[in-house]
Amino acid sequence: MLLICPSCKTKNFLDPYPFWNFEGTTKCASCKGIWRLKTVSGVCVSGPEKATGEPTLLPGFAETQNYEPISGPGVTRPAPRARKDSACRPIPMEKNIRGNPISGHPLKKEDLVGSRSKALAATA
Amino acid sequence: MSSEKVAPWPAVPILKPEEVYAGLSDQAKDYPLYLESIVRQEHNFEKPEALARLRVFDTSTRMMIGHWCSSMLSELGAEVIQVEPPGGDPMRKLTPFGKRDYMFVDKESGEPVGAHFLHEMRNKLSVTLNLETEEGREVFKKMAVHADVIIENDPPGHRDSLGIGYRQLREINPKLIYCWVGQLGQWGPHKDKPGALEPTAQAACGFVHGTGDPKEFGGQPTRSALWMADHVGGTSAAMGILAALLYRENVSGEGQFIEATAAEAIIRILDYSWAWYGMDGSIRPRFGNWDLAINIYAVNPCKDGYMMVGGGHDRLWYRIWRTVGDEHPAVEEDILGDPHLREVADRLAMNQQIKTYTMLGEWLKDNSRSEAERKLSKQQVASGGVLYVNEVAEYPHFKYRGHVAEYESPHYGKILYGTTPFLQHKTPGRLKWLGRPTGFDNEDVYRRLLGFTRDDFARLRKESVI
Amino acid sequence: MAAETKTKHSGNGHDNGFEDFCRSVFDPKKEFSKPEALKGVRVLSCTQYILGPSCASYLAELGAEVIKVEAPRRGEAMRHTTPFNEPFLYPLSKWVPERGTGLGFLGANPNEYFCSIDFHRPEGQALLKKLVAKSDVFVENYRPGTFDRWGIGYRQLKEINPRLVYCWLGGFGGWGPGRVRASYDILGQAQGGNFGMTGKQEFMGGSPSKHTIWLADYWGGMMGAVQVLAALYYRDKVSGEGTFTEYSQVHGVTRQLEYALPLYGRHGITRERWGNWDTQLCVHGIVKCGKSTLPDSQNPQESEEGYILISAYSDGDFAKLCKTIGNADLGSKYAKADIRIKPDAQMEIYPALEKWAADKTKEQAASILDNAGILNQPVWNAKEVATNPHWTERGAVRWLDDPTYGELLHQGPSYKMSATPPRLKWALKPVGADNEQIFGKLAGLGPNDIKRLEDQECI
Repeated sequence: MLLICPSCKTKNFLDPYPFWNFEGTTKCASCKGIWRLKTVSGVCVSGPEKATGEPTLLPGFAETQNYEPISGPGVTRPAPRARKDSACRPIPMEKNIRGNPISGHPLKKEDLVGSRSKALAATA
Repeated sequence: MSSEKVAPWPAVPILKPEEVYAGLSDQAKDYPLYLESIVRQEHNFEKPEALARLRVFDTSTRMMIGHWCSSMLSELGAEVIQVEPPGGDPMRKLTPFGKRDYMFVDKESGEPVGAHFLHEMRNKLSVTLNLETEEGREVFKKMAVHADVIIENDPPGHRDSLGIGYRQLREINPKLIYCWVGQLGQWGPHKDKPGALEPTAQAACGFVHGTGDPKEFGGQPTRSALWMADHVGGTSAAMGILAALLYRENVSGEGQFIEATAAEAIIRILDYSWAWYGMDGSIRPRFGNWDLAINIYAVNPCKDGYMMVGGGHDRLWYRIWRTVGDEHPAVEEDILGDPHLREVADRLAMNQQIKTYTMLGEWLKDNSRSEAERKLSKQQVASGGVLYVNEVAEYPHFKYRGHVAEYESPHYGKILYGTTPFLQHKTPGRLKWLGRPTGFDNEDVYRRLLGFTRDDFARLRKESVI
Repeated sequence: MAAETKTKHSGNGHDNGFEDFCRSVFDPKKEFSKPEALKGVRVLSCTQYILGPSCASYLAELGAEVIKVEAPRRGEAMRHTTPFNEPFLYPLSKWVPERGTGLGFLGANPNEYFCSIDFHRPEGQALLKKLVAKSDVFVENYRPGTFDRWGIGYRQLKEINPRLVYCWLGGFGGWGPGRVRASYDILGQAQGGNFGMTGKQEFMGGSPSKHTIWLADYWGGMMGAVQVLAALYYRDKVSGEGTFTEYSQVHGVTRQLEYALPLYGRHGITRERWGNWDTQLCVHGIVKCGKSTLPDSQNPQESEEGYILISAYSDGDFAKLCKTIGNADLGSKYAKADIRIKPDAQMEIYPALEKWAADKTKEQAASILDNAGILNQPVWNAKEVATNPHWTERGAVRWLDDPTYGELLHQGPSYKMSATPPRLKWALKPVGADNEQIFGKLAGLGPNDIKRLEDQECI
């Protein structure tokens, strides 16, 4: 459910699975306002009403009306990560975890021999 | 039996070709009708069977992987003889929640069988033989002469210690293709222990850890409802057996030893888990019903259940939001205006997926599975609802193509079942019968293969060898 | 169940060197010293995503010469998917070296030769036909009728090569009311029925869960390979002719539903989700262990608490389990299998087991259970599997010296053979990497032809 905070208009993304049939409170990621609401099959049937106390469940993610992302500990729920420093964008790599060479970084035409990286063809 | 209470299947009649292709031009109908002419199951019995010359002894018990493997072969025409301990494979006794009522009972003998075993006992003969006795093993050695394939899943080394393992039987029959199936293997630090069965393999290969919602979303590692690794492992074993058969026939004239484990079959298909770890130490996380590598490609709740929508690439991404925009223009506008969702690659980040599916949920909450599918298909977007088995059984497309069919067994009455997916022009897979009482074929098999007399039968029965 | 009667080695107590024998005949290091089952078989893989490609790859493991045919320059769509958008292997092709192939492509196309053809163009179709004339198997998973329209479908190709085994795989099949629907793996899972059954119980607040792997795709490819192998056997042994095989992914999933269809047909009962417990055996379920094996790890996957499968479904084993966890009440209340299999019994038993495991790691729980002779299996994550000596010794996961990309950790074949083992040669190659070799060898194209066609993006 998309919760547009009645106070500050921040878009709080209450992700489908945990919030589909939900009764309790959540916290705006921006202004920290607590809102009580009830959803049934994804439809908001009551609220959002102003409330107090610790939120039942934090939003999954949030952003401003201008698409500026808002997330972090205590603000939105942590995402599952494959490593400590997950980046979610291409990461150039030259060595694997054993320290051996891999061709994991962008190349230029002059780096190639045939369809292979010169650097790795040289080790053949 | 309570079959009187239940409506006959199908509840809605199966469509006819005229109805399915009504209103189409000849050109549009041409190809599907051509396919129907060459692969419809009605034509199966006019056609030969690919593996008709093959004789397989399925001597596996207490797991389903061996039975799945032998089903692959029996559906394609192999003569499969299931060799069970006297009293039957213990798998016959399994029934959901222990309910005897859910079992199927042989009209003649009164012997019950659970639906799980029944569903996989297809096109197979059943003989009984007690391999734990000296006499039983002598009988088995004589049977090995007549076998192309033997499948077993005993604890590692057990058959070998009894003198009826690969090493011994290959001396008797060098053409024998001997296949051991199991959960983790016959060798290695964690080789199979007696009694282990699925989902042992699922837990040991990374599958369970990777399935289900992330912890942060209230989830936990989740097993497949099915003994799924047995299916994949059994199919792998069948690939090995057929490869060995080809090699024997075309080149060597000899058999070989095949080992297939349920866990390694799944490890093979855990696509990028290993390479990802090897590159930068990443450990594949659970991601629920969303996908680590593609957005939009997920199942999410909708008005009347759960809905799959797929479309990772740009063309389909915009068409999905086009569909949503028909009812929620503000949602489409927001998505189109979002700089963080413009590039395909950027959509994969967790936060972007949360936004994507939350916004999609605004539309899904107003649409049932069939409504959502109808609207998305206008934009050629792949989608469909999560179906439960009662819906699968009545789904028009599946009934028409015969994915689900009813077989009338002389032993067990009418049985609804999942048909073989081996559709083919020349040598299609098929169902000949479903279900076989324990030892039903003792008389036939032992007479024609080993020349048993009445005295042999009487003596061996008395000694509980068969 | 006869678990107790079959002990490890009921013969003379030794294993007569059997384990060593297996270790030797199935040794992954000896794979290349043995012949290949499908030597001399040529397969054309005009496939995309996973369902079609994986089918051809199982044949490639067995030694068939598999030629993957992709769209020129950028290749097929699966190259552009990678988990969390992070790791890629470069170059994508010699024309586009600044982009890479995503790891989603891995595992579906090992051991293959990579060439590129634009199927839309007549010159491309003519080139393909030259390859078909010399091939044994043709695998494609495009929308039904696409290749037929392009003049390179089964009807046309069998005239060129009557021995061709034409293997089509797809979501919903090529005929019937749903034939026009595009399909993906999880759509096959969802509509085929295994999705709705998997996941936490409804009454415990759960929802359906997909299988983490592209199960319908990868296992579907295996089913396609089984059909192809059987068809090759029949061709070589009996008929001398090829055939057309159709495999529908959703059909395969419906085939897998175990007791669900017979139960529904006879009793009108729809099989429900039962989470991590088993509907037919108790105790046989996965429970949570309260402690993490590596609580201080920086990787959140490792710092999570562990889970373990506990399997004690015979009366004797269940009694042993209850004694081990010190819960005599549980043992006496549920001594009989047909009592403890019932839903309410399970709802008492598994929480009791989790209570016992609440202060243990999965390894501690496993150790206690092992000592008591109770079957168990800790739930291992990807790292625990990849570094586990059982899997590395057996070659299930292995370091591969890939000629193009360097050293990759890669899965091995899914089964082992003593005389003609399947094997892993390389992981994948860039788009069109083998154009010269393949088109020169099989289509008589010289370097000038190839240059012209490549410049036109016909190949």
